[in-house]
Amino acid sequence: MIAELITQIPKKEDTQLGKIKTKIVVVALMAALITLMSQATLAYYQTVGKATNVVTSGNISFAIHETTDKGTEFPKDGVFTCPGDIVSKKVTVENICEHPFYLRVKMVYGVDSKELSAEDCFKLNINEESWTLHDGWYYYTDIVNPGETTPNVFSHVEIVGSKVDNSYLGKTLTLTVKAQAVQSENNPITDGNTYTASGWPKEAEG
Amino acid sequence: MKRIISLIVFVLLFCSFSLLVCAYGGNVTYSGNAGNFVFEPGSDYSITDLFPDFKDVMPGDSITQKITVKNNADQKVAVKIYIRSLGAHKESAEFLSKLDLTVAVCDQNEMPYMFEAKANETAQLTDWVCLGTLYSGGEVDLDVTLKVPVELDNEFMNSVGYFDWEFKVEEFPSKPDDPKPPQTGDNAYIIFWSSLAIITVIALIILLYRKKKEEKHA
Repeated sequence: MIAELITQIPKKEDTQLGKIKTKIVVVALMAALITLMSQATLAYYQTVGKATNVVTSGNISFAIHETTDKGTEFPKDGVFTCPGDIVSKKVTVENICEHPFYLRVKMVYGVDSKELSAEDCFKLNINEESWTLHDGWYYYTDIVNPGETTPNVFSHVEIVGSKVDNSYLGKTLTLTVKAQAVQSENNPITDGNTYTASGWPKEAEG
Repeated sequence: MKRIISLIVFVLLFCSFSLLVCAYGGNVTYSGNAGNFVFEPGSDYSITDLFPDFKDVMPGDSITQKITVKNNADQKVAVKIYIRSLGAHKESAEFLSKLDLTVAVCDQNEMPYMFEAKANETAQLTDWVCLGTLYSGGEVDLDVTLKVPVELDNEFMNSVGYFDWEFKVEEFPSKPDDPKPPQTGDNAYIIFWSSLAIITVIALIILLYRKKKEEKHA
């Protein structure tokens, strides 16, 4: 009797363990199935697209035009002059960009001699209606819009007879027009004075 | 006769203007079935460029452009749309690092900006950010603002900056109780109104012609 009991006990434990194992397997399978199904409902497809976006910055640019009163381009090699001569030279500036700007010009004089100065040798008929002198620069009093050309800065240059004496004989006098522009967009000015605009280059940057 | 011609021209112009449909800003459209995204309008620089307004910018500019992200998939699926930034291309980093960029979902006050950083950075969009679940025809608008500092140096004139954004969708089967897709398309009976306009013009001409004839006889 005792022997029978001993042999029965392990058999009972075996079946109980088996049942537990079966339960674990069933639960694990259900969990796996649920996980798979839930993944299937989470997303059918995924797709990714890339947009390459671009930012570009603008610019301001201008062209200086030098013409004669005959409408022809002022000779690049210059002209022969004598003291007292009045040379026709019309200087205008054209906005050749997409943005409006403020403008200033400066005349720089030179002579191919260290001993001589060209400073007072030229007399210009500056158009003071459109150009205001401030700190050595002539500021255009208005905005130069895209495609617009300014009125003349000056139209004639007189070779001052009293200053150009014999010491200048055979020398080359130069008159260079230098211009600088600064954007007028997002750049307020005070009392209508364009020289109060921000961003004018410093003299050394010229 | 001149008056009649002028009148006809005016009426025809009016009719044609009323038929014009204008589109602004950029569009990101998901075409469905794990298909492609369509990026519009593109530009000379990149066919997937979303920012036509961010061109030729000047110091001091502050420009906001709307980007519409749209689900054009069929009605069987809803999609979750995500966005992330991959940042600037290497050669553009210096220029874009000078510019400020903000991105916000329109009319959504609880998250003012999903992105607020220099334009070369990935910042808050380094990881995927969900723009929402969109049903067929649904869309979400983003306001993207670019600020160019007024002190931007001359060396950045004529610069070009490239930066990449990625969009991702996850499709879901739609359920019967999902919101109906919004009404899209034009239901204005274009052919009917155009025909009516033309008939009106013809009738007007006939009436004027008869009136003139009657005046002559009288």
